[in-house]
Amino acid sequence: MKEENVLRIPAKLEGMDVILAFVSYLLDTHGCTPKARTQLRMAVEELYVNVTLYAYPSGEGWAEIRGSIEDGVATFCLIDGGTPFDPLAKPDPDILLSGEERGIGGLGIYMVKSMVDEVEYAYRDGCNQLTLKKQL
Amino acid sequence: MKLTAEKNGTALTVHLSGELNTLTAPELSTLLDKELGGVQELTLNFAECDYVSSAGLRILLATFKKMKASKGSMVLANVGENFMDVLSNTGLDAVFDIQ
Repeated sequence: MKEENVLRIPAKLEGMDVILAFVSYLLDTHGCTPKARTQLRMAVEELYVNVTLYAYPSGEGWAEIRGSIEDGVATFCLIDGGTPFDPLAKPDPDILLSGEERGIGGLGIYMVKSMVDEVEYAYRDGCNQLTLKKQL
Repeated sequence: MKLTAEKNGTALTVHLSGELNTLTAPELSTLLDKELGGVQELTLNFAECDYVSSAGLRILLATFKKMKASKGSMVLANVGENFMDVLSNTGLDAVFDIQ
């Protein structure tokens, strides 16, 4: 049976280390290549940072991460109860632009898409849910 | 993250150790704001930093633009596998001078 681990914290930037420690702990206890570990940590960082910055206009709210590993596939789901928002709907940045032509933001979500095998957004039960899957 | 700066005339080398992420990127930004005046050749040594998130990329891109505007150069040295993946995935491998 798939064992799911859950951590819920206030959606604050300072909580990022705890969220990433949760990701590392789960991956390290199951065994994982250093590369997959880095990529999953980075993907979760990008999504979590977005939650802390944009989910709650008041600045107060919670974020939850759920993680499980089954048949060599890691699944992490990041949930918040903030404003409905699908970060994946944004068009990808033009990565062929030169340094001068580029804006300095907008790469985070694009990086998430390139670092995991699947990423999916859903708005369910009044919550934003972003699910990442990656073969370890 | 640990940052060490070495200045030699108009050359500045910054050695990064640890993860360049959302929480640590402001440390690099502060150091560069302080040390970059008069620098023409900037080298960022990534030998001990192979984790660079988009917050780190933003600072690298902003610094690249600053150096370019003052006709200076910026080199990323000793780039590891994970950081190189990030650079190729975002097309920044074609923008930055990577050695």
